[in-house]
Amino acid sequence: MGKDTLEIAINGLKLVLIFLMMVQAVPILVWLERRGSAFIQNRFGPNRVGPLGLLQLLADAVKFLTKEDFYPRTAVKTLFYLAPVFALIPATLAFCAIPMSTPIQVAAFDAFGSSWGPYVFKIQGFDISVGIVYILGMSSLAAYTILMAGWGSGSKYSLLGALRASAQTISYELALGLSIVGVILLYGTFDLTSMIQAQEGALHFQMMGQTVTSQFLPNWGFFYQPLGAVLFFAATFAESNRLPFDLAEGEAELVAGFHTEYGGFKMLMFFIGEYGHMMVASGLFAAFYLGGYALPIPSWNPAAVLHWSTELLGSKESGSVLAAIIHFLSFNIKFGLLLWIFIWVRWTLPRFRYDQLMDLGWKTMLPWSLANAMITAVGVYLASVAMV
Amino acid sequence: MADVIVFWFLALVTVGSGLAVVLLPNPIYCALCLAMTMVGVSALFVTLGAYFIAGVQLIVYAGAVLVLFTMVLMLFDLKSETNAFSRGVITGAIKVACAGVLSGLIAGAIVMTLGQRSSVVSPLAEKSAIDSTKALGKLLFQENVFAFEALGVLLLVIAVGTVSLARSKGGTHAKH
Repeated sequence: MGKDTLEIAINGLKLVLIFLMMVQAVPILVWLERRGSAFIQNRFGPNRVGPLGLLQLLADAVKFLTKEDFYPRTAVKTLFYLAPVFALIPATLAFCAIPMSTPIQVAAFDAFGSSWGPYVFKIQGFDISVGIVYILGMSSLAAYTILMAGWGSGSKYSLLGALRASAQTISYELALGLSIVGVILLYGTFDLTSMIQAQEGALHFQMMGQTVTSQFLPNWGFFYQPLGAVLFFAATFAESNRLPFDLAEGEAELVAGFHTEYGGFKMLMFFIGEYGHMMVASGLFAAFYLGGYALPIPSWNPAAVLHWSTELLGSKESGSVLAAIIHFLSFNIKFGLLLWIFIWVRWTLPRFRYDQLMDLGWKTMLPWSLANAMITAVGVYLASVAMV
Repeated sequence: MADVIVFWFLALVTVGSGLAVVLLPNPIYCALCLAMTMVGVSALFVTLGAYFIAGVQLIVYAGAVLVLFTMVLMLFDLKSETNAFSRGVITGAIKVACAGVLSGLIAGAIVMTLGQRSSVVSPLAEKSAIDSTKALGKLLFQENVFAFEALGVLLLVIAVGTVSLARSKGGTHAKH
């Protein structure tokens, strides 16, 4: 956690801040989803409360919090109440491991009669060296909340929705994991920060014995792993139970699936969990394939930005703060674009049938992601042979 | 100090949920507690510095195997299952025998290893997480590759056997 009290306190505070950031992003995403869907479907959407309907979120939150708290007669009370709380945990813990910017440096200083620092604070909840394995492990726990909600509600619709959802999550986890194998092979690490560092600079590859370097394209994983990127993105839709994979809800057949019996803030907590999974997916996609927090111009790599801001502001510490802000914005733009694609797809594609869903997962995406892993392994091996 | 607190907390959670698996009457709660035990074990691996194994424990056991367990349990008629398992002399005798064998195993393991603090340093210890993952990969795929592949074949045999057993009675489309 840290060397002394201050570092531990700030690292602890960071966890709270990231959790709050995630929760606060949800109302904005809900607004974006409603306005976006209205835009796509040629409607107005919520536009009465506040400018552009932005205060609708606040009104909704108050409405959700003041609703009557109830549970169905046939429900198992413990599980019914635990499920929405557990819905928040996996997404939050997984999101904490995603690096969002370059670290902030704090010089040594004297205060309260003792000397503190120097410190380096990462813009990341916690730095875990096997980031990918950890995030996959955490998000695989999300199936339990759905099962708990589905069974605990004591309703047939809920149970059917929960069973569908967990079958779907397990099926697509395979394709998800295998599509990441390509990235892991390519960069040779589990650490997200090292992956992002490996994507710095201009796109370059070796062809016919000479190195070809692109002038304007960055060295992003997307150009090395296009198939893996598409498979990963599709599988994350299934993992977060979004359309076209939202059979767990399937309102035409199951009313609302596993959260049929939930109302008020309890339902909102499932919503936050779902958006949390979208955020984890977008953050991971940015880190794997879009260079993470780095700017998209090859010569403006993080080291160059840090150098520029240090010269601009005159000191290493304030320079690192400015660089962190720039990279944080860059990360958030990629992040926001990916989240918008999630919303866009939801209002564009219709839902799959159950057999189509299983066919796509097991007979299409699994073989293709296996093929992607094999091709990447051969490619990485050939490149390492050519280097020697 | 912090290590000790974390260890005792995790040990309490793990052992407590492990006990709950055995003691609770409702199978659903048992399965959920078993999942909690797996998460606790994985957290204990983290405190030992085995990050990769912790992650795999989460993904494989907590995330996949036990989700399937819970899913299947939810489809059962739990009342008749509970009755079938909590009545009768024979089931009682089997339960007592199982408890005896298990406690014998645990006692035996404790007695046999008492006083033998092995000083063998495992190849995974004393290294950073990435190195230990690499060391694990080398152990699995270079030194013990035959055993690893043989285990893979064994799992395949089990999968094929299960499917053929399920199909031999007509599977889900059986006509009664």
